[in-house]
Amino acid sequence: MSSSEAHQEHEHPWYLAHHFDNIKVQNYAVRMGMWLFLGTEVLLFAGLFLGYTVYRYFYPQAFEECSQLLSVGMGAFNTVVLIGSSFLVVWAYHSIKHDQVKKCAWLLFLTIVCAGIFLVVKYFEYMHKIHEGQLPGKMYTFEGVTAPGANMYFSIYFLMTGLHALHVIIGATILAVLMVRVMKGKYGSHHNVPIELGGLYWHLVDLVWIFLFPLLYLI
Amino acid sequence: MKGYILVLVALLIGTVVTVVTGKMDLGSFNLAIALIIATTKATLVVLYFMHLKDSTGVNRLVFVVSIIFALVLIAGVFGDIMTRNPVSLPHGGPVPRTGTPSSAMHLPAAHH
Repeated sequence: MSSSEAHQEHEHPWYLAHHFDNIKVQNYAVRMGMWLFLGTEVLLFAGLFLGYTVYRYFYPQAFEECSQLLSVGMGAFNTVVLIGSSFLVVWAYHSIKHDQVKKCAWLLFLTIVCAGIFLVVKYFEYMHKIHEGQLPGKMYTFEGVTAPGANMYFSIYFLMTGLHALHVIIGATILAVLMVRVMKGKYGSHHNVPIELGGLYWHLVDLVWIFLFPLLYLI
Repeated sequence: MKGYILVLVALLIGTVVTVVTGKMDLGSFNLAIALIIATTKATLVVLYFMHLKDSTGVNRLVFVVSIIFALVLIAGVFGDIMTRNPVSLPHGGPVPRTGTPSSAMHLPAAHH
């Protein structure tokens, strides 16, 4: 394995799967595979955004009043954390393309720290809502908003932010694996597509939150 | 690298603008402004952070098609709901606003 690192790309390096002719073909295929996957992710979240749209149409007053119960400060803070982490991950990709291995590992580490900060803030928000009795279904005991549909707002809130938080956890795990592999010296200017793809997944997490934040917290 | 920093700054400015306009009472414009800003921010992320600007045609096609289908899903279902006889909807159609808030709005922790 390690002896192959010095090989040139056309001599069949370790990161080239045997069923691909050359690295260019492989990169083309993996990039398209990733974008196809991101397309399915867009459709996954689209279903929930549709649910939000329909129930907001049914219960405009409840949705407006409930959204004002959310902490704009916490939501905005988390938005900045995610946007910042998106920048860090693209910086990491830029670094590894220029063989700055140590810098890349540190930037990936900082991205994972951002994911942790996001989840801690989310934890406090969830704890507050659970304490207020805003969980879905039978666990919903909140009486602060009496307009019909308030329970639907909070059910949708937990579904959308919950699925998003799951993506944050998965994204951070992927970045952690990539960070370890970067530290082992597996990537560099010759081979960095895995960092690019891991970064793409992380940007998707950011993308979803860019829409979730105004829809749930602001309007 | 300079381009990435510019995009970061634009995204942070967009976040500030969306928070400020979100706190203003602009009626139905609030929703439109929030969606326009979010879409602009998302476009910046997709084009520059996700490098779709420099990607091959097929990647752009895949992503744009997925967004089109998401919009078809939302437009189709929402169009159906809006044009139905209200009798077939829960509560007989959208619940009208009462004019007065149903909540003690600035006291989220008032309950025990």
